[in-house]
Amino acid sequence: MNYVPGTASLIDEIDKKHLVLLRDGRTLIGYLRSIDQFANLVFHQTVERIHVGKKFGDIPRGIFIVRGENVVLLGEIDVDKPCDTVLQQVSIEEILEEQRLKQQTKQETEKVKMQVLKDRGLSIPKADNLDEY
Amino acid sequence: MFRFQSLDEDCTLEEEDDGLVEEEEDEIDQFNDDTFGAGAIDDDWQEEHKRLAELDERDELGEGLGVGVGVKDETNFGASKDSSSTHVTSTAGQLPFHSALSLPHHSSSSGRHQSDVEDGRREGHLAESLARLVLEADPAIAGVGAAERPVFSQNQRLEHESRSRLLHQASPISHSPHPHQHPQQHQRPPGSSTSGQPPSSMLTYQQQQHLLRSLPSTIGQMNSRNIWENSMGFGPVSGCPGLVTHMEDSPLMSIIKEVGLPKRPSQGRNDEGRDLSERVPPPRSSSPVIGSPPVRAVPIGTPPKQPLGHSLNHQIHHPTAVHVRAPIQHRYPPPFPERLSPNTLLNFANSPLCRGPFSPRVSPVLSQIQRAQLLNSQVAGVPRGGPVPTLLPAGGGFRPFFGGPHPTLGHRMGPPHPHGHPNHMPPIGHNATHLHPQHRRILTQRMQNRGGDRSRTGGDWRNRDPYSNLMTQKEKEWVTKIQMMQLQSTDPFLDDYYYQHYYEKMEKRQEKERDSSKKEHTTKLITPQVAKIEHTYRPVQFAGSLGKLTVSSVNNPRKMIDAVVTTRSDDEEKREKQVWNKRRQILYTVEKIYSLLLEVQDFEKRFVHAPEEDREALLEQHKTNTMQLCNSLQEKEWDDRVSDERCVMIMSVRKGKRLISRLIPYLPPSHAAAVVMAIARNLPTLAKKDKQDQVLCWLVEPVSAVIMSMSSAALTDLLQELQGSEGQLATVLHNKFGVTLLYLILSEGERMQSSDPNCQLMDDNRWTELVFSVTRELLSIPTSSLSSPLFTPTNLIALFSRYIDRQRLDLLQEKLQISDLSR
Repeated sequence: MNYVPGTASLIDEIDKKHLVLLRDGRTLIGYLRSIDQFANLVFHQTVERIHVGKKFGDIPRGIFIVRGENVVLLGEIDVDKPCDTVLQQVSIEEILEEQRLKQQTKQETEKVKMQVLKDRGLSIPKADNLDEY
Repeated sequence: MFRFQSLDEDCTLEEEDDGLVEEEEDEIDQFNDDTFGAGAIDDDWQEEHKRLAELDERDELGEGLGVGVGVKDETNFGASKDSSSTHVTSTAGQLPFHSALSLPHHSSSSGRHQSDVEDGRREGHLAESLARLVLEADPAIAGVGAAERPVFSQNQRLEHESRSRLLHQASPISHSPHPHQHPQQHQRPPGSSTSGQPPSSMLTYQQQQHLLRSLPSTIGQMNSRNIWENSMGFGPVSGCPGLVTHMEDSPLMSIIKEVGLPKRPSQGRNDEGRDLSERVPPPRSSSPVIGSPPVRAVPIGTPPKQPLGHSLNHQIHHPTAVHVRAPIQHRYPPPFPERLSPNTLLNFANSPLCRGPFSPRVSPVLSQIQRAQLLNSQVAGVPRGGPVPTLLPAGGGFRPFFGGPHPTLGHRMGPPHPHGHPNHMPPIGHNATHLHPQHRRILTQRMQNRGGDRSRTGGDWRNRDPYSNLMTQKEKEWVTKIQMMQLQSTDPFLDDYYYQHYYEKMEKRQEKERDSSKKEHTTKLITPQVAKIEHTYRPVQFAGSLGKLTVSSVNNPRKMIDAVVTTRSDDEEKREKQVWNKRRQILYTVEKIYSLLLEVQDFEKRFVHAPEEDREALLEQHKTNTMQLCNSLQEKEWDDRVSDERCVMIMSVRKGKRLISRLIPYLPPSHAAAVVMAIARNLPTLAKKDKQDQVLCWLVEPVSAVIMSMSSAALTDLLQELQGSEGQLATVLHNKFGVTLLYLILSEGERMQSSDPNCQLMDDNRWTELVFSVTRELLSIPTSSLSSPLFTPTNLIALFSRYIDRQRLDLLQEKLQISDLSR
C-alpha cells in the first residue's frame, strides 16, 4: 500500500526479489530488505550476475548495502515467471574469464582508435571532463 | 541449578535516585544517542566510580568462586544495607547461605512482592516474568540459551544497588510452566560473566523481547500524559496471549528457530556488559577502568533535559534541547543482533522506569519517549502488531524540522496484532498543511477505515520467509514520513512535479464526476500558501548565564571558531582578487537576469493556473518583470540603450552566452537588434573569450531570428559592424560563429533583394560596397583559416553572382564549397 499516492516509494518493494543495476555496471539480484530516505538499499542473499554475450554467471555475495546514489535502476523479479531460456548459465570461473577477455579486446580497440586519431591530430575529449555549467 | 527469588523487598532505597539514574543510563545506553541527537544528564562521577570499584572487586571474587555472584543479594539477605565496600567481604561467605536460602525465600518474597508498593518494582517483576514467559514458551531460546542466560535484572533500582545478580541459573526456561504463579523467578546467568560487568538495570534480551510485544498496547495512548499509567496497566494476563501469538509472528523468532541463537557470552546484561566480560582481561589487582576518567556516554557539558511538559506542548514551534541520559557503557554496541533498535529497548526499558517518584531524573527519559511517541503518533495512530515504536532518529535534533509533522498514517503492514487496541486518531490539523489537500483527505480516510480492517494481508508468504520484516513497521513509517516531508511544499511549481500532477489529475477526474453543479472550474494552486517555519539550530543557552557553554559534543554542537572575514592588503592578492571579483560580479549579474528570465518564461504557466482574481496581479507583475528584463542589459537605469560593455561582460561567461541566447527572444525588437549589433561589433573579443567554451553557436538561432526581422538599413549596419575595423573580417571568418553570422546576413540581404525588387538595400551603395569587401576577403584568405559555418544558406551563390564575375564566382564557390543551385 502506498502511503503517498502520486509518488514512487520503495516501501512496497520490501522483501521482494529485485534486480538492481548499479552505476558501475554491476547487476545485483537479491531480496530487498531495507531502505531509507536516500534509497540506500539493503539486499539479502545477493547474487552478482555477470553477462557476457549470451552467457551469464552468478556469484553469490551475501548481504549488500548499496548507496542510493549508485543505483541506476531497480526492478522486481517475478519469481513465478519462467527464467529466460536464451541465456546460458555458466560457472563463475568461466564467466569471469569471458569478462576479462571482453575487457581486454575493448581496451585494445580503444587504444588503436586513440592512436589513429592522434596520428591525424584529433582528439576526442573524455565525457567525464565536460560539464554543462 | 536453582532459582532465586527477587530480593527487591530487602533492598534499601538509600540510593534510590542514583540507582534509578544509573539504571536509566544503562537501559538507555544501547542506542546511538549521538546519532539520534539525544542529550543527556550529567553523570555523577562519584557514583560511577563506586560502581566500577565494586565491579572490579567482584571481578576477582567471581573468578574465584566460579560463579557470578550478585553482591548485594547476599547483603540484602543479611539485611545489611551497607555501601559497596562491605559487599565484597560478605559475598564469599554468604554464597552457600544464599543458595540455601533460595527456596524458602522464593515463597516469602513472592508474598512480599504483593505488598510492594513501588510501581517500578512491580513493573520490573512484571517485565521479567513476562520475559521469562517468552523464554519458556520458545523452545529455541530455551534450548540454546540454557547454558548462557543473560542476567535478568529484577528491578532496575535494585540492580544498581546490588550490582548484577549473577547467580547460577536454574534450569532456565523449561522448568516452570506457570510463569504467573512465580513472577518472581528470575534467571541468572551462569559463570563469571559479571566479572567485568558494570551494574546495570538492563533488561535482558528476553525482557526486551517481551516488553517489545506488550508495549503496543501503550502506543494506543500516545500523546497523552497517562501513557505511563497505561503501560503499567497491562497485567501479566493480557500480556501473555499477545506474546504467544507474537512468537510466531516475530521474524526474529522465526530466524531464531531456524538458525538458533547465536552463542552469547554469559553475561548479566544485555549490552556491553556482555562484551565487557569478553574484553576484560583476567582479573587483576586494579581494574583497567578504574583510574581512568569515567566514560561518559554523554559528554560532559551536555545540558540537562527540559521538563516534560515543556517539550510536549511546544513540540512544533520550540525545538527544545531535550536530552536523554545515556548510560556509561555506551561505547559498547549491543551484542545481539536482534532487530531491536536501541530505541526500542530504551522505550520499553523506560516504561517501567518512568513511574515512581523520581521526577527530576525521570522526566528527561520520559521526554524522549514521549517525543518518540509524539512523532510516531503523527504517522501511525494505530497500534501495530510489530515491535515497539522506534524512536525517530535524531529525535531531538530532528524535531525542529518537523515543522509540519505528518498526518497519521494508517498502515497494515507487518503481522497485525490481534489485540483490539483503540484506534488512536490524532488530529491531522495544522501539521500537514503543506501536503496536498487531496492527500490529506486520503490519509484521513484511511485513518478512519483503519478500525475495521485488521485482516492479515499477504501475511502468509511473508511469514514463510524467515528474513521478512527485517524492516520494522516503524522504520517503514519513518521513511514514509520523510518522503511526505519532502512532498510538502509551498510552491507547487518548484517542487515535486509528479506528485502535484497526480493530484491535479485526480482533482480533474473528480470534478468531471461531480460535474454539473460546479460551474466554476478553478484550478487553483495546489497547496495552500503557508509560511514555512524556519528551523535553525539554536544551541542551548542558560538564562542569566554569561556567555555560552564551553563544551561541545555531538549532541549539542557549538560554534568553535568565530570566523571573521578580513581582507588581505597584499598587492598581488589584490590584483588577483580583483579579477575574481569581476568574475563573481559577472556571474552574479547573470544569475539575477536569469531569475528574471525564468519568471517571465514561467508566467504563462502560472497564468493559466491562477484563479481569476489573481490574474490581474500576475499580469502586472509580469509586465514589471519584462520591463526589468529589458533594462537589464542597459548600462544605467535611465539610459535606454543597450550597453555594449554589459553585453560583452555577460557573454564572457559561458552561462552568460546561454542567457543571452535565451533572452533575445524576449526583448523588444529594438533591443534585440541592438544586442545583435553589439555581438557583431565585438565578435573578435567574444571569439577570443569563447575559445575554451566554444559555445557561441548557441547564439545562432536567436540571432538569425532577429536578422530575419531586421530592416534593410539595419541589416546593412549590421554587416558594417561585422566588418568593423581593418582585419576584423579576417577574425570573423576564422570563427565558426562569425562565418555563420556573415552568411546569415548575406542570405537575408539576398532574400530581401530577390523578394522585393524595390527594397532599399540597393539605395545607397553601402550594401554593395560591403558585399564587395566581403567577397574580396573571402577570396583572399587562405582556405585553412576559413571556418566552416554551421550551415550554408542556399542563396549565397545568387547573391555573389550579382556582384562578381564568373571567374571569381567559381573560385569562391570552390573555396566555400557552396553548391550551385541556381545554375
